[in-house]
Amino acid sequence: MNGYGGKILRLNLTKKDVSEIETKRYEKWVGGHGMGSAIFWDLVKDKAISGFDPRNVITIMTSPLGGTIAPGAAARTEVQGIGVQSYPIEWFTRANFGGRFGAMLKYAGWDGIVIEGKADKPVWVDIRNENVQIKDAGRLWGLDTWQTQQKIWGEVMGAGQFGDWVPVGKADDARRTTQKPAVLTIGPAGEKLSRIGCLIHDAGNAAGQGGFGGVWGSKNLKAISVIGTGSIEIADPNALMESRLWAMKEYGYHVDHESGNRNPQVIFWESSHDARLQACIGCHAGCRSRTATGQGNESQCVETGFYAGFDRDKHGGKQTTAALIATDLLQKHGINAYEAWRGLEYLIELNKVGILGPGRQIDCDLPFDQVGEAEFAEKFLQMISRRGGIGDDFAEGFARAAKKWGRLEEDLKTGVLRYPYWGLPEHGYDPRAEVSWGYGSILGERDVNEHDFNFLFWDPSLDVWSGETPEPSAELITSIVAEKLAPYQGDPLMLDYSTENIYSEHMAKLVAWHRHYTRFWKQSALYCDYRWPNFVHPDIPDAPGLTGEGEPRFLNAVTGKRCSFLDGMELGRKIWNLDNAIWTLQGRHREMVHFADYIYGAPFEKTEESLYVRGKYYQTWGYYLPGRRDGEWDYICVNDRHLDKAKFEEFKTTYYKLEGWDPSTGWATRETLESLELAGVADTLAQNGKLGA
Amino acid sequence: MKRKIDRKISGGETGFSRREFLQRSEGVAIRTAAGGAFLKLIWLDNAVAAMPAAGGYLLVDTKKCQGCMTCMLACSLVHEGKENLSLARIQVVQNSFAKFPNDITLAQCRQCVEPACLKACPTDALHVDQEHGNVRIIDAEKCTGCMSCVEACPHAPGRAVWDFEDEHAQKCDLCADTPFWNERGGPGGKQACVELCPVAALKFTEEIPKQDGDEGYNINLRGDGWKNLGFPVGSGEPSKKELER
Repeated sequence: MNGYGGKILRLNLTKKDVSEIETKRYEKWVGGHGMGSAIFWDLVKDKAISGFDPRNVITIMTSPLGGTIAPGAAARTEVQGIGVQSYPIEWFTRANFGGRFGAMLKYAGWDGIVIEGKADKPVWVDIRNENVQIKDAGRLWGLDTWQTQQKIWGEVMGAGQFGDWVPVGKADDARRTTQKPAVLTIGPAGEKLSRIGCLIHDAGNAAGQGGFGGVWGSKNLKAISVIGTGSIEIADPNALMESRLWAMKEYGYHVDHESGNRNPQVIFWESSHDARLQACIGCHAGCRSRTATGQGNESQCVETGFYAGFDRDKHGGKQTTAALIATDLLQKHGINAYEAWRGLEYLIELNKVGILGPGRQIDCDLPFDQVGEAEFAEKFLQMISRRGGIGDDFAEGFARAAKKWGRLEEDLKTGVLRYPYWGLPEHGYDPRAEVSWGYGSILGERDVNEHDFNFLFWDPSLDVWSGETPEPSAELITSIVAEKLAPYQGDPLMLDYSTENIYSEHMAKLVAWHRHYTRFWKQSALYCDYRWPNFVHPDIPDAPGLTGEGEPRFLNAVTGKRCSFLDGMELGRKIWNLDNAIWTLQGRHREMVHFADYIYGAPFEKTEESLYVRGKYYQTWGYYLPGRRDGEWDYICVNDRHLDKAKFEEFKTTYYKLEGWDPSTGWATRETLESLELAGVADTLAQNGKLGA
Repeated sequence: MKRKIDRKISGGETGFSRREFLQRSEGVAIRTAAGGAFLKLIWLDNAVAAMPAAGGYLLVDTKKCQGCMTCMLACSLVHEGKENLSLARIQVVQNSFAKFPNDITLAQCRQCVEPACLKACPTDALHVDQEHGNVRIIDAEKCTGCMSCVEACPHAPGRAVWDFEDEHAQKCDLCADTPFWNERGGPGGKQACVELCPVAALKFTEEIPKQDGDEGYNINLRGDGWKNLGFPVGSGEPSKKELER
């Protein structure tokens, strides 16, 4: 099987049993999310159990592109199972991380890992090629994520010297590596069953959403380590080489080359100038750093942003080391950055109005006058991971904390608690503004964290904030992107974010395209969210990028299959339907698919703040997106609006019809499922009385 | 003490002229092998080249490297037709938690002027390939699997790599022999790792790098463009401290 190891590792922690599943059984799903959902469907008979139930099954899946030179696709690894973060229902959900774990898993011969049951005491899993052992983790329990990994490195490498060739098995094993084992671990937060605990790999790769850290903790699973020396067979090595060179030369898939250079970092703190750019395995454009102080190593995006603003506010607009220290602590404790960020914002607001604080209605001994200092971050994060004092509530996630404090309903009405969907923190792309992000999240099960159309906000907004006229024009950009949106190509109105258009069928098509594209190409074939899709050429702003041609080109070079872009979109639709069927069995009904009240009642206000992005400071002023005004395309400011609940209800009907789901329930119909060769899924839904009419 | 040496090159007598050698070897470290059972190569100002220097070398910039290991993946892909970090003839060794620049070591074959691996080979499997610019190359068919070359490489990690799948040693050939890539490689051709490095942290040169120490092979490839991206450009030479690590 070109591109595959050929087998999936099955671990039953209750029985301490190690077995295999033939990858071929699930090959039709290609990899990643598709395989994970299918395995979950088969193995978890009662989908309505809690994420903490030992019967919950966690899958960690790679794709055929894992460990290859397919650009921005070698590293991503998909984690699935019933999460524990969303509220009130613990949805079957996903998280995804990079680094080198997934690639190493494939070099060890495994296409994925399936985790079942619950160990009777803490364990870790030691994978060295085909040899897999479930080991006692007594000495690792309590260590932070960085300490744990380094302890495991030492144990796996034995007498081997870092920097030299080390045998991966016995001393006389000819199979040697210079690489360290790749370890995925929980921190103290996960051990304490925090619903906002993450899985961490290396310094800064996190499967952050869903609370999988807490799920691992409930299974007494501390870490999985893998080192591999095997080969991944490639169907057409020359085509793969030529494709990478094509992407590099024709579409700027590089950082520094003859055709120019660009900084690909995605960081929201002032970057250290004494640092290197740092990338996941196989990536053409690293998005983070390793620094001369070691602070902030490998963190990016929200991890770098969660405390940087508090730091600057405290220090007269200047960044100190507090932001970096806080981020490193976040990674070490293994805590979800969005919860820490939005949660802290929430606590500060409650403190300001006199509700929360020492001896107050909600008793909390955090020193709020010290917000922005490293010491404050340390105390706050420790409270979460150790469940100390009111930290016991924080560890449940801030939606559940608010519920316990009797504040959830009110604070979601005012928007003091910025948790717009499923009791989960808002990402920074508000549903009232960038509706495609919010719609995807509420129609799914989590904050989508899919940046596909996000440049339509960043590019024009940064120009406006700089006092410049955005280029290229909204009309040109939307026409370029619209051509890429097969099978709905050629409809630029899909990208019209004006208030008049956001409830239209055009927008429903955009949301459907986004759901299907990401489910297959980004979460199953595992192209990185940051590097794909590529709608517009990075060096030629009015020229198309390689999306459409690029995705299948690499996949086919690796596998030898003839998968077209549209084949992938259709498989994405199938996977989306399977996920929706799982949610349906968990209790999903259209009646519960609605945003928090503030999204319908409170306008999305303009905020003026200093934001560090793309290497410099901007003073934000307004949220700009393409849209039509009086029939003319422009970049329009989408602040000061809220969603209309009745119109959103109509939008749901339009969307459900587009997906072939029963608009009265949001459940898939037999016809739709059978057209996707999911007749068995339809049967199960019917047996449970949950098949759409 | 200055001595002339004379040693036949593997596979023929075509070396290169003393004049050519001296042109190429400017800056080559002098190393004598005092004692020992066997006469080793000794390069001196008036030496006559017994073994031709390679016509090409890989240079790296460890400070510019982004640690993506694309070079390793490209190497194994074009040579073996598959992805395997352990079979790559260039190795990127890194530590996620370490401090820049000591978090990464790039280990490329140096095509040594005086190759310990070649001298250790008991057969002529590891030889100077005249057809491909005198790169030091291993003929897998002739390799007996004794691993002498793997052990002889004085650098860590060793640059001669044991292919445990096909049970022979292999090493960087500057892509002279890439059965899975339809490009001409070797000196004068293309190298997969150089071509694919997204940050241009690898470079091919025909000039013989300074043989002693690392600075001839680990150079500054960070230009103004890199500086504009906000990354350190530096003075070019690795610091003494870096060399000692």
